[in-house]
Amino acid sequence: MLCRFTENTKKAKNKLMWQRPPLKGSYDAVIIGGGLHGLATAYFLARNQGMNHVAVIEKRYIGFGGSGRNTAIVRANQRTKENLPLYAEGLELWPKLTDELDFNLMFFNCGNLNLAHSEAALGSMRLLVASAQFHGIKSELVDAKQCKEIVPILDISDLPTYPIMGGMYHPPGGTVRHDAVVWGLARGAARLGVHIHQGTEVTGINVQNGKVTSVETDKGKIHTPRVLNAAGGYSTLVSAMIGIRLPVHVLTIQAMVTEPLKPILHHVVSSGAYHCYANQTLKGEIATGAHMDPWPNYTTQVSARYIKHQAEALTDLMPCLKGVKFMRSWAGLADMTPDMAPIIDGNNPIQGYFMDCGWGYFGFKSGAVTGKYLAEFMASDQCPDILAPFTLRRYENHKLMGEIANPVNYGPWN
Amino acid sequence: MSLTISCPICGKRDGYEFRFGGEERGPRPDEEGLTHEQWCSYVHMRINKAGIQREWWYHQEGCGSWFTIERDTLTNLEVEGREET
Ligand SMILES: Cc1cc2nc3c(=O)[nH]c(=O)nc-3n(C[C@H](O)[C@H](O)[C@H](O)COP(=O)(O)OP(=O)(O)OC[C@H]3O[C@@H](n4cnc5c(N)ncnc54)[C@H](O)[C@@H]3O)c2cc1C
Ligand SMILES: [Zn+2]
Repeated sequence: MLCRFTENTKKAKNKLMWQRPPLKGSYDAVIIGGGLHGLATAYFLARNQGMNHVAVIEKRYIGFGGSGRNTAIVRANQRTKENLPLYAEGLELWPKLTDELDFNLMFFNCGNLNLAHSEAALGSMRLLVASAQFHGIKSELVDAKQCKEIVPILDISDLPTYPIMGGMYHPPGGTVRHDAVVWGLARGAARLGVHIHQGTEVTGINVQNGKVTSVETDKGKIHTPRVLNAAGGYSTLVSAMIGIRLPVHVLTIQAMVTEPLKPILHHVVSSGAYHCYANQTLKGEIATGAHMDPWPNYTTQVSARYIKHQAEALTDLMPCLKGVKFMRSWAGLADMTPDMAPIIDGNNPIQGYFMDCGWGYFGFKSGAVTGKYLAEFMASDQCPDILAPFTLRRYENHKLMGEIANPVNYGPWN
Repeated sequence: MSLTISCPICGKRDGYEFRFGGEERGPRPDEEGLTHEQWCSYVHMRINKAGIQREWWYHQEGCGSWFTIERDTLTNLEVEGREET
C-alpha cells in the first residue's frame, strides 16, 4: 500500500512537460532545430497563427545548442535603427511571456554596465546611447566615478592594464534563465498541439518546381510545404541541403562560472577591451565569458588559454575576485555573420523555405520576439516590416548593417 | 586537445601563433563581367564544412608565411600528410 502511494506521487512529480508523440508523415510546418528560435516560432505559430500541426525536429535534445549554453544576458542597446526596435520589444516580452507560459523565466532586470577604457570606446558609446534614447530605450553615459557607484567592486584607479574611463549604463537589461525559456516554450508549444521530436535529425530537404515538398529525417520522410532552418551553429550545414550558401562562419565561444559567493555583483558588467563580461547568478556564481577561438570548428572544446585570460581580466577589473576558483567551463557554437546581425528570410528563392540564423553570440535575447514575427511570416507569407531588413539579399546588395562598429571593437588600440 | 599548425618554414607550432585566413575558396573571380552575386559569393559565403577542409593560415608570430593546411573541423586537429588537391 505504502509502496504504491510513493510510486503514484513519484509519477505525479515526474509528469512530462511535453509528450513524445509518434512522428507523423506530414505537418503544416517543420522546424529544424529545437533551440530557442525554433521553439519560439513553433509556439507562436500555434498560439497566434492557428497553425497547430507543427513539428520541431531536434537532432539531440532541446537546448543542446546555444540556447542551453549561453550566458543569458539580455539588453536592447544595439547600434542601428533596424536592430534596436526588435531587441527593445524582445526585452519587454520576458515578463509577458513569464505570465503567458506560466513558467518562471527568472527575468532579472539588474541593468548592464559596459565599460570604456579609451576615448574611442567612449565615442562609440555616445553614438549608441543617442540611438537608444532616440528609440525611447533607457541608456546613458556615465563617468568612472559613477561606474564605481553602480558597481562598487570595480577598480577605477590607474592600476588596471586598461584603466576605466567611463561607461554606458543600460538599466532595463539583465539576465533571463536560459533553460527556463527553452522548457517553458516547449511546454507551451506542446500544450497547443506542437510535436517535439528529440533525437531526430534532418538529413535532407526536397524541393519540386521551386517549392519545398518534404523533409528527410533519420526516422523517415515528412511531407510539408514549409520548413524553417533554425539550426543555430549548424545552419550552414542545413542550408547546404537546399543549395544555399550563407555568409556565416562557425566559431566556438567559451564561458565559465566560479564557485558561489555571497552577493557582491548586482549588475551585468562588460568590457570590450578586456573581452570579458560577468554577472553574479542567483546561485552566487560569477558567470563570465566569452572568448572565441578565431578558427571555425564544430567542437565545443574549452581552452586553458582563455581560462587564464578570463581570470586575468576579472581580477584586473574587480581585484576582490583574486583567489576565487572557477568551477566549470563550457563552450557552444556561434554562427557569425560579417555584420553582426542575423539572417531572417523566407520564400526567397525557394517557396516554403525559411531561415532564421546567423545569431552569433547574441541570439538569446531576441529569440522569443523573433519567433513571434517569424510565425506571422511563415503563416501569411508576408514578411513583417520589423524583419524585412534582415534579408539574406543585403549582402549581395552591399547593404551590410552597422552593428559591427560597436564598443567591442574600440579599445585603447584605436 | 590544443591546436598545432605545421608551418612550411618553422615546422609544427602552437596554433595561437597563427592567424586563420579562411577556408580555401578558389581563385579571386575576374573583374571582367563580375556580378554583385558572384562578388558576394566570393567575399562572404562560406561552406563551414563539418570534416576535413583545406584552409589558409598566416604565421603572424613567426616567419610571416601564408600557406594552406588541412584540418578536421570536427576534432579541431590538423590532418598531416595529405597532398594538396
Ligand atoms: C557560450 C555562449 C554564450 C552566449 N551568450 C549569450 C548572451 O549572453 N546573450 C545572448 O543574447 N546570446 C548569447 N549567446 C548566443 C545564443 O545562445 C544563440 O544565438 C542562440 O541560442 C541561438 O538559438 P537558436 O535557437 O538559433 O540555435 P540553437 O540553440 O543553437 O539551436 C539549434 C538546434 O538545432 C539542432 N540541429 C542542428 N542541425 C540539425 C539537424 N540537421 N536536424 C535537427 N536538428 C538540428 C541542434 O542540435 C540545436 O539544438 C551565447 C552563445 C554561447 C555559445
Ligand atoms: Zn613560420
